[in-house]
Amino acid sequence: MAELTPVQAERSREQRARFAGPAFLAQVLLLLALIVIPLLIPSFRVLDVLAKIIILTVAVASYDLILGYTGQLSLGHAMFFGFGAYSLALVTYHSGSPQLYHIPVAAGIAIALSVVSALVIAFFSLRVKAIFFAMMTLALAEFAHILAVQWYDLTLAADGVSFKLPGIFSVGWSAGKFLGVELNGRLVTYYFILISSVLLFAGLLRFVRSPVGRVLKSIRDNRQRAVALGFRTFRYETFSIVFGSTVASLAGILFAMWLRYVNPDSVMSLALMLNILLMVIIGGLGTMYGAIIGAAFLQIAETWLPDLQKLAVAFFPTNEIAQRLAERWILYFGIMFVLVVYFFPRGFVGTARQLVKRHKTAKKGIA
Amino acid sequence: MTDPILSLADVHTHIGQHHILQGVSFDVMPGEATVLLGRNGAGKSTTLRTIMGLTPASRGDVKLAGQSIEGLKPHQIARLGVGFVPEDQAIMYNLTVEENFRLAMFREDERSWSRMETIFNLFPDLKRFWRSKAGVLSGGQKQMLAIARAFVCDHRVLLVDEPSKGLAPVVVKYLAESLDRIKDTTTLILVEQNFYLASVVGSAYFILDDGRVVHGGRMDDLVDDHETKQKYLGIA
Amino acid sequence: MTSAATTGGYETKDRISARALVGWIVGVGVWLLPLIWIDTTTYLILTVAGLTMGMLLFLTASGFTLIFGLMDVLNLAHGAFFAWGAYAGFSTLGLLNAIGWVETGTVSQSIYSLLIVLAVALAVGAILGLILEQVIIRGVYGDHLKQILITMGASLIMAEIIRVVWGPNDEVTLVPAALVGSWDFFDVVINKFRATSIIIGVGVFVVMQLVLKKTKLGIIVRGGVENREMVQAMGYNVQRIFTGVFCAGTAFAAMGGVMWSLFKEQIYPDMGSENLIFALIIVIVGGMGSVTGSFLGAIMVGLAFNYVAFLVPKLALGVNILLMAIILLIKPTGLLGQD
Repeated sequence: MAELTPVQAERSREQRARFAGPAFLAQVLLLLALIVIPLLIPSFRVLDVLAKIIILTVAVASYDLILGYTGQLSLGHAMFFGFGAYSLALVTYHSGSPQLYHIPVAAGIAIALSVVSALVIAFFSLRVKAIFFAMMTLALAEFAHILAVQWYDLTLAADGVSFKLPGIFSVGWSAGKFLGVELNGRLVTYYFILISSVLLFAGLLRFVRSPVGRVLKSIRDNRQRAVALGFRTFRYETFSIVFGSTVASLAGILFAMWLRYVNPDSVMSLALMLNILLMVIIGGLGTMYGAIIGAAFLQIAETWLPDLQKLAVAFFPTNEIAQRLAERWILYFGIMFVLVVYFFPRGFVGTARQLVKRHKTAKKGIA
Repeated sequence: MTDPILSLADVHTHIGQHHILQGVSFDVMPGEATVLLGRNGAGKSTTLRTIMGLTPASRGDVKLAGQSIEGLKPHQIARLGVGFVPEDQAIMYNLTVEENFRLAMFREDERSWSRMETIFNLFPDLKRFWRSKAGVLSGGQKQMLAIARAFVCDHRVLLVDEPSKGLAPVVVKYLAESLDRIKDTTTLILVEQNFYLASVVGSAYFILDDGRVVHGGRMDDLVDDHETKQKYLGIA
Repeated sequence: MTSAATTGGYETKDRISARALVGWIVGVGVWLLPLIWIDTTTYLILTVAGLTMGMLLFLTASGFTLIFGLMDVLNLAHGAFFAWGAYAGFSTLGLLNAIGWVETGTVSQSIYSLLIVLAVALAVGAILGLILEQVIIRGVYGDHLKQILITMGASLIMAEIIRVVWGPNDEVTLVPAALVGSWDFFDVVINKFRATSIIIGVGVFVVMQLVLKKTKLGIIVRGGVENREMVQAMGYNVQRIFTGVFCAGTAFAAMGGVMWSLFKEQIYPDMGSENLIFALIIVIVGGMGSVTGSFLGAIMVGLAFNYVAFLVPKLALGVNILLMAIILLIKPTGLLGQD
């Protein structure tokens, strides 16, 4: 066997390190936890939080691909999520009776819709400067949102679409008890979501670690240099935007499967976009794994903060302004958002990685 | 023995992670032109920018007539009488020639406008294009505008970065005359690649290499010093 | 001021390019296009509505484009000032109404009410703008991504505070008596307030242009847009001028907000973000950093929105997005944008 070049040696070392060490162990443990917890803790709330964290992780990771790895500030990501969610909801709803094949059909529609939209967006990203791109995607997403709100015949507007899931996913389905745990549609849906999400996440990881991903990083760091090196930067950027957006729409389908209810504000709004932004920043841009942290953080906060609030409200039964202050958790969300962007722009995983790197170089004694 | 009007003492400047100036020290005497020479990337432009406060020093001191100006904002340094003509001209293309001049006149008073007379005599083209947008001027005319703009104020010290860049040789000669004229009232610090202009206008020189001053002295001596010129400037 | 020597010689005039001419002709053509489907009287009413909307949007858009053009700062909280202006005006009108100046006021009382309310909005916008600039924007100069994120967050906070102070529900604004109703010109009903808005909007535009083109401050600002460093090196405290421009921009946005509240006679906490979308479209269409561009863009957006809203309501916003896309394809920097 021929001797490895330095680059190949570095790469194989990197690959081996990936499957050893504490980070890998943490991932395995996390996965095991996600598989086992629903079987041990029968609380629906816990299951709900876990499912949402899993789905949002995929959505946020796909955004990290576009913003963190490719450096494209798209403010339309929520729109793709909504495409997926609505595809499933509308296909099942309008068909009258839900069938298993509706799921792949919805996926197909979502993918087609996403690819086309993403191509349009990517095309404009070439023509205009970064800030225009951001504003344009924002306007486009708003337009999609307004369409969803106003097109009653198709989307049932603000009322939202309530639908049933087919076959083994449906709420009614049950296979009796197994080791003290009831195997119902909910549980099956959960594991389906878990497996799909793991596959999607792994796909994203594969993408960023591939040669394509490396080129993307070089484009993000110094576009001109990448162009000078002969890379057709536009192709790579387009590829990344299309891939990321499509994954987001598939995450949207999973979300719809879990909630069985879709409305414009929950799957296609600016609020969701801001949530995604916050999650990706908290977790860390350009880290992929940061998405897990960010999603977990926000979801847990959103689930248990209202309880804290009710507590706070109880303290001021008469003062209306104090009551309103306590109720407006979005206010605190906004404050947290600003603080995080200001003081921790690298996010959790990003800062951690930086600290580790600094520690390593210090140990090696490099000045 | 007069005091230097400008002195740098062990000035270090970083741009991002790059350590550009690594301990620059020199004194500039009033009433004459001092030229900064050196290869590309030696740190000449950065020196001017550091004096002007646009790229602040990370270490060291800059004194203007004995008063430390290190750490001051560019507009404060400008108001102390330091003028700057950057390498890229910094002409406002969408402003007319008139507006470019008015902008340069911090105070639009009689003195500034009377100086315009002299400027028009030196650069008649600028009078022709007075009401036109500066963007329509040719490259050489833009350069003339950039320099003329600096003449409109009473500067104690004028920093000029590569005034001859892009100018035809005959215009360079013209430029040398103009720079010569203001030497009495304004101390000049020039960064110049064109040795002809440097030697004609300059009285003193400093050679920078790798962010440090490696040689300095009177221009008359340098003209005959072929060894130094070859070593640091690559010219015979 | 200038000596005789400076005005001699011939001047070169900038030629109007053939492209611009074609653009104008196409523009006018498209403007008159809706006449095919709408009758003349309705068209005129819609035109007035469209111009009004345009003028009020211009107030926000102009501030945004100046702030970006001069300071290279993307202030996505700009819409929130719009909302704050509206709410501050709402409270002020409530107070004025208590002394009988609004709903039951005379003509002069109505005019005074309007002026007071505008002044309040301008002040609120400027003060809030100062706070925002000092506290938040200062720290993120030069980083567009951070600016976008932080101003989005700030916008959220500002909208939430509105909900805390005024409550989360929609409110109806009181309109000063003399501004209610319309004039009748040969069957064309022209709403009094809309006409006033248009006049005010054009007035603001004219004042802005005069300041920018004729004053020393205007020269400094326009020079600073092109090369901030050089203007600093000429001795001007650009930072202070930035802050001033920022506050002026937010003040105008607030003014737009209060006028909008009188236009629509309704306010709600999220009105800021909707306004922002329009402002963004206008600024993209008109070109970043160009006040005239925002003016033209605002008129285009306002008119397009109203014509299409009459014909096919659901596509009203979509038409503007389409307009933005078309302009971006033809001239990526916007109609009058540079760089």
